[in-house]
Amino acid sequence: MARIQIQTADFDIQAEHDRLRAAGGVGAVVLFTGLVRDFNRDQAAGAPPVDTLSLQHYPGMTERLLAEIVTEAKARWGIRDVTVIHRVGDLAPGDQIVLVGVSAAHRQEAFAAAEFLMDYLKTRATFWKRVGAAGRQQWVDMHDVDRAAASRWDGDE
Amino acid sequence: MLRILFFGRLGDIAGCESRDLPYDGAIATVAVLRDRLGAGNEALARALAEPQVMVAVNQQLVDWDCSLQQGDEIAFLPPVTGG
Repeated sequence: MARIQIQTADFDIQAEHDRLRAAGGVGAVVLFTGLVRDFNRDQAAGAPPVDTLSLQHYPGMTERLLAEIVTEAKARWGIRDVTVIHRVGDLAPGDQIVLVGVSAAHRQEAFAAAEFLMDYLKTRATFWKRVGAAGRQQWVDMHDVDRAAASRWDGDE
Repeated sequence: MLRILFFGRLGDIAGCESRDLPYDGAIATVAVLRDRLGAGNEALARALAEPQVMVAVNQQLVDWDCSLQQGDEIAFLPPVTGG
C-alpha cells in the first residue's frame, strides 16, 4: 500500500497517522514533516529573511518518480504502508511542505525507510523551489549535503 | 511538433516554461535539439550545457544521444530542490 499525493492544500498529520496505523501488523509509525524555513542554508549574515516560497514540479513525472522511490523503499525494508505528500504552489515560512510517513512492525524499518524516502525525494523527485526575500526571487540550488545524504544509500541493499 | 519544457531557472533563461518546435529529421537526438535551442541564446546554451542538467523524453530520463520522434515531449531539468 502507498499513498502518494502532490497538492496545493495543506495536510492533516493526525489523519495521515491514523491511515498509516490502520495498515495492520503495525508496531511503529514514523512521520516526518518538513516546514518552509525563513532562511537559506548559505545566506549571508544580515540577509533579508525569506518571505515567500513557490514550488514548481513536473506533473506526471513527479508522481511516477515518487512511486519508484516508494517501490524501492518497500523492496529494502519490510514496511506495512507508506505516505508521501508534497505541496506545490505558493507557501510561506512555517508552512508544512512535505510529509513522509512509514508504518512497520518495528521502529528500525520505519525510521530507516522514512529517512531513505526523504533523501531520495530531495535528490530525485522533480520539484524546484524558488524563494523570495525583500521582493527578490531566486531559484534554490541543490546542496552537497543532500547529495551526500542520498548517496549513503547507494549500493546499500 | 516537439514539445519542449524548461524547469526551474532554465525557464527564466529560456524566457518561457514551454514552447513548441516544428519537428524535422535533422533534430536526430536530444543533443542536437539542445544545440539548436542554444544557437540563438548564449545564456541558454551555457545553462543547458551544465553537467548537472538532465533531460527527459516523454517523462523518462534519457542520455543526450537519445533519438527524437515527431510528437515527443522533451524536458530540461536543473538539479531538483524539493523536500
